[in-house]
Amino acid sequence: MPMIKLHNVSKAFDQNKVLDRISLEVEESESLVILGGSGTGKTVLLKVILGLLRPNDGNIFVDGARVNIDQPTALFEIRKKIGMCFQMAALFDSMTVLENISFGLSRHTNYSSVQIRSRVDECLTLVGLRDTATLYPSELSGGMKRRVGFARAIALKPKILLFDEPTTGLDPVMTDVISKVITDLRSELRATTITITHDLKVAFNIGQNISLLHRGSIVASGSPQGFASNQDPLVVQFIKGTSEGPFLADPPPKSQITI
Amino acid sequence: MVSFVEFLGAKIISNVSSFGDFILVSIRCFRSIFKRPFDTNYFLNQCSFVGVSSVPVVLMTSLSVSMVFAVQLAFGFKQFQAEGLASQVEGLAVIRELAPVITGLMLAGRVGSAMAAEIGTMRITEQIDALECLATDPIHYLFVPRFLAAILMLPMLTILSIYISFWGGHFILVNLSFQSSDFYTSEFFKLISSSDLRIALIKAFVFGVIISLVGCWKGFRTEGGAVGVGAAPTSSVVTSSLWILIADFVLTKLLLV
Ligand SMILES: Nc1ncnc2c1ncn2[C@@H]1O[C@H](COP(=O)(O)OP(=O)(O)OP(=O)(O)O)[C@@H](O)[C@H]1O
Ligand SMILES: [Mg+2]
Repeated sequence: MPMIKLHNVSKAFDQNKVLDRISLEVEESESLVILGGSGTGKTVLLKVILGLLRPNDGNIFVDGARVNIDQPTALFEIRKKIGMCFQMAALFDSMTVLENISFGLSRHTNYSSVQIRSRVDECLTLVGLRDTATLYPSELSGGMKRRVGFARAIALKPKILLFDEPTTGLDPVMTDVISKVITDLRSELRATTITITHDLKVAFNIGQNISLLHRGSIVASGSPQGFASNQDPLVVQFIKGTSEGPFLADPPPKSQITI
Repeated sequence: MVSFVEFLGAKIISNVSSFGDFILVSIRCFRSIFKRPFDTNYFLNQCSFVGVSSVPVVLMTSLSVSMVFAVQLAFGFKQFQAEGLASQVEGLAVIRELAPVITGLMLAGRVGSAMAAEIGTMRITEQIDALECLATDPIHYLFVPRFLAAILMLPMLTILSIYISFWGGHFILVNLSFQSSDFYTSEFFKLISSSDLRIALIKAFVFGVIISLVGCWKGFRTEGGAVGVGAAPTSSVVTSSLWILIADFVLTKLLLV
């Protein structure tokens, strides 16, 4: 049984069709990477999986249970199994780093404050921010916020981790650290992960499967090797990273300047 | 003409549906009052924010309103050579109307707007989504402590306001209109029965419900960026002030006769 299963999921905002009958399956402890251009609905896809957005159509199953926004109790049980890393970190800005990370622990476990503290330190060490526990989010840089968000998501040792662009805006070294952390977590917790990224290096590092999301549909998916040798013009253009090709609906005008 | 009717219809439908949404969210809030875990620290913080920090505002407004009112009453009753009545009417007005309504309106401005702004910011920075992802019901976590703090603190602040207003009236009527202090004190409570105090506290309680629920709801439904966060407190103040005045009328009419 797949850990995460989407069946014909569609989501539109008024006239704007963002997801168009998406089906995908992620097996237990598999690592799926979703690539896609800006604004193609990657974040929306994760929010639909988490039950934060109501799909217009289709079904989502997480660990065998259907995600249904109208059954909050069951939905919260599902969410306890999922750790979500937001694109903009979404840290609670009125709380310190320590309180942010211990939030789930103090509400959903009966750990003592000592146990909570040691788990928080463990998580902070994992993301390389050992001495920040007493700081407030406004005192952190963008990349540090992201890593704290990361620590908050793994504090409860979830079975599933969702990363929304975990490395965007980090320097190359930290990018590599983060992709190592994701790999470590997968081997340690045997967590199932969906990672959204623009970064091909990260994608090939951590992905066991790579899918390309384009205009609401998954246009290509496969193992890293298969994906790299895919001849679909969309994939070729995305990997090459050029502006010419079918990828953009309205490509920038051709440069008028001739040298 | 047709487009005007359409416009009106759309306006009415959107108002009715947002009122319905407000009711649904409020019901969710009432239902989650007794849910675990109860965040005592967060609740105490809200109490201190709603209650303790509002003391200066309530103090200043109660003092000035009760003094102005006493001046007007002293002047008005002088026309009929009935200066003695001023203290009685002062007491009546303060306890039945001024203290709860002034407290309610000031807190709608000070506390309701802050709730809307805070929760609105959390909404647009995805902190509410983050709460949901940590398997925490934002209505339970954010609304309940604010709601409880408001329904607890509003009556207490109203009592404070009555006390301050008593001394405001005292200052004017005793010092400037030369009534004796004992006379003022006995006259102040002459027309008042214990049911009047009860009505004042019921009003304060209802205003607390209105302020907290409207403030939280406006924040919770914030959309768009900075503009949305800017609009939420404004519209929360306007809406809750309006509802405070309407509720005041209804409660007075219901409870007094
Ligand atoms: N709450 C919303 N209301 C209306 N439209 C929305 C909403 N959220 C997202 N959209 C629309 O959905 C589309 C996809 O947005 P999404 O945030 O999923 O993009 P993305 O793939 O994550 O892009 P990026 O890589 O830039 O983060 C966009 O066109 C956006 O306009
Ligand atoms: Mg995104």
